[in-house]
Amino acid sequence: MNILLFSILKAAAVVAFLGLNAFVLIWAERKISGYIQRRYGPLRVGGPAGVFQSAADILKLVAKEDFVPGGADKWLWTLAPAVALVPAVLVYLVLPIGRTVVLQNLNIGLVFFASVTSFTLLGIFMAGWGSNNKYSLVGAMRAGAQLFSYEIPLILSTVGVVVATGTLSLQGIVQAQVTHHEWFVFPQILGFIVFYVASLAELNRTPFDLAEAESELIAGYFTEYSGIRWAMFAIAEYSNLFTTSALGVTLFLGGWHGPWLPGWIWFLIKSYVLVFVGIWIRWTLPRVRIDQLMDLGWKFLFPVSVVNVLGTALYLMVR
Amino acid sequence: MALWERLWNTGKSMVVGHGITIREMLRKPVTVRYPEEKPPFERGSRSVPVLKVNEETGLLNCVSCGLCERSCPPSCIEIVQAVGEDGHRKPWPETFQLDLSHCMVCNLCVEACPFDALEMADVVELSSYQVQDLIFNKEQLAELWKTSRALRVAGGERLDAEEAVAAGTPARP
Repeated sequence: MNILLFSILKAAAVVAFLGLNAFVLIWAERKISGYIQRRYGPLRVGGPAGVFQSAADILKLVAKEDFVPGGADKWLWTLAPAVALVPAVLVYLVLPIGRTVVLQNLNIGLVFFASVTSFTLLGIFMAGWGSNNKYSLVGAMRAGAQLFSYEIPLILSTVGVVVATGTLSLQGIVQAQVTHHEWFVFPQILGFIVFYVASLAELNRTPFDLAEAESELIAGYFTEYSGIRWAMFAIAEYSNLFTTSALGVTLFLGGWHGPWLPGWIWFLIKSYVLVFVGIWIRWTLPRVRIDQLMDLGWKFLFPVSVVNVLGTALYLMVR
Repeated sequence: MALWERLWNTGKSMVVGHGITIREMLRKPVTVRYPEEKPPFERGSRSVPVLKVNEETGLLNCVSCGLCERSCPPSCIEIVQAVGEDGHRKPWPETFQLDLSHCMVCNLCVEACPFDALEMADVVELSSYQVQDLIFNKEQLAELWKTSRALRVAGGERLDAEEAVAAGTPARP
């Protein structure tokens, strides 16, 4: 009974963090994009610097009509936002937030993370197919091609770290960085670059946001979505942005390791710095073409990540 | 060789581009939050025709000849000439009404005026919730002229050629 209660509390904490994270990140994204374009961004809705903009947005989205397009496949269409949200919630299970703060220290944490995040594609595809809209379907197809081809360099880039530490547990990887007094970003710089670029592509963010390219596909797979269903997609997307950055921090930037402050604060600081870099990139680089995207994935990131894995293994053998 | 060059160029342009965006981000935004902050309005911009007041006599320059009324394409000017106690018509307007909701800011009334009694003001904050509030009488138009900073050639401060060029508009003869 106690265990059940504790599990429910943990789940509630994760969902609360999910909402709060989307809240803060949507506001931050609009604010940062505003300042990069020398505007102020949201200011008038309330709170200091307009922080309650997201609250107003959520209220507006909840109050909207629950609209189902005429030719939609109703089951797929209504289930898709939930399917997109589930992996976003599940990955919090293995994130090592602090020295002792981790929901479940799985010994295959990294595999769990990679396999769960690939479920996002299912939600995207259900949305694209169920909408019965050509833009949605093209967007979903693009997302499929993109996510499949970037999953490989993403996972291969983390293999270097796994080879170096000999563990798949995320907490174990952080522990190894602490004991070696060295963050893996320095020896695994190639791996980190490949990981970061591939994770941006996995998250469907500019410069790789072909799946939802506004200028060609309106909004890609969620063209037909509005109201709370659209909000679920947005929450999942921003949660994935945070969790992927958090995985990068865990693997390459020492996780919760840092002086003076408690571990979980270091973890949040590092994660949000990576999130900021993602937003910064989004508002700097233009969108790539689909063939350039495939070129980058298969002809550059894939060989580089393979070379990184082989180099790491060779170094560990001859050392 | 070409590959290394392309890689180098890619990396360089990404570093330069991100440098530009972070620099722009740290600078002050150029947004003017309009109702709270006012942008500087340029001298010489024009909004609505207003009535000039002669500084020596304090009377309107207008002699109520009606040429502006006739030249007005949307017919937004309405003049009634003054009639004295002796029954003779007098050279000043009894009423001079300008309907700003119709005015198209074409400047034709100013060009038609032979007595230099009209001028385009640079007062732009004239919006109102009531259409009736946009019908201005002669006293209101004279008040608007006093608050206007538009280029003045006669009946007000006179700009010399350098000053007018500095303000971006050549002085009218």
